[in-house]
Amino acid sequence: MLKALNNFKLLSMTCETFSPNSLYQQSVRWGRKPLWFPTAKSKLFRVSPRKRLPKEEEVEKRRLYNSYRTQVKSIKQYLEEKYSLENQEAFDEEKHKMEIEEDFIQCSEINDKWNEEIKKSREERVEKELQESIEDAKRRLEKRLKIYAEQRETAEEAVRQVKEASQHFITPDKLDAAIEYAINNPVDYNFALDLDGNKIRGRETKPPSKIEPEKISAKA
Amino acid sequence: MLYPSSGTGQFAANSAKIIRFVRKGCTNRPFFHIVVAERRIEQQGPAIEQLGTFDPMPNEQDEKLVSLNFERIRYWIGNGADTSKSVRRLLGLAGFYPVHPTSYITASKNRRTEEEAALKASEETKPNETSPANV
Repeated sequence: MLKALNNFKLLSMTCETFSPNSLYQQSVRWGRKPLWFPTAKSKLFRVSPRKRLPKEEEVEKRRLYNSYRTQVKSIKQYLEEKYSLENQEAFDEEKHKMEIEEDFIQCSEINDKWNEEIKKSREERVEKELQESIEDAKRRLEKRLKIYAEQRETAEEAVRQVKEASQHFITPDKLDAAIEYAINNPVDYNFALDLDGNKIRGRETKPPSKIEPEKISAKA
Repeated sequence: MLYPSSGTGQFAANSAKIIRFVRKGCTNRPFFHIVVAERRIEQQGPAIEQLGTFDPMPNEQDEKLVSLNFERIRYWIGNGADTSKSVRRLLGLAGFYPVHPTSYITASKNRRTEEEAALKASEETKPNETSPANV
């Protein structure tokens, strides 16, 4: 006890040198008694009874632990076999190159196969397109020919009409007769209107008798 | 000295490694990282790699959330890392390892106490039930 007190004093003294206010000094305590205190006299010869499980429980517990340990061990072994770096194969450059080459050959085979398929389909497509374009060209040619024929027909019709009209043309042989006819049949387009709106044709010449007098109605 | 909690990735070649908890969080709020570390290094020291997390405080749905990187756990166990008991318990509940015996033992203990409590409650209620019948 005295020793402890001395220790305490020592502690406080050492603290005093550092702390600005020794009045509010507190010492740290662990549990019920300071760490350096020996076992209490009253507890010195105390022996706590050993905890014992019932027999059944103990057997059960042992069984559980045994099976658990074996299972964990086997899992660990499996994982070690699978993932341990020691068991992993070392990196072989030659093998890696070979693998890449093999992979390339395989890929190129697949590529060739695809190309073959695509070639087939492309040829089919081109053939089909060619046939279609030929048919289209034929159709267009037919249409064009039809148009030409129509044009020709219209032209011929025009020529025929002109030919027909040319019968009435004044040729040098018919010139005298035509002049005579014109002199004998003067045409006068002048006319006058009376209050009733009647059209009276002719100013200097007499109109032909067969022309009926027309009536013009004044607009309101 | 502060170390990245995701791990430094550095370790001595032939040192013993262990998968264990590292307490993060703060006072009255525990939160654990599950890490692989060298056994000789203290808990808060540099970890080799983080393998998961564990939140021991139940959330609103009464769940304790755990995350585990099984791929890396498999790798580290395969390369000779040991596991701490609490991590083994978690792995057992996660289905990675067989269920740990302590899980069975605590469960049976809890069941027994529950049964006892129920028995006690039924005994207490029995006289109350019989009394109105007698009257």
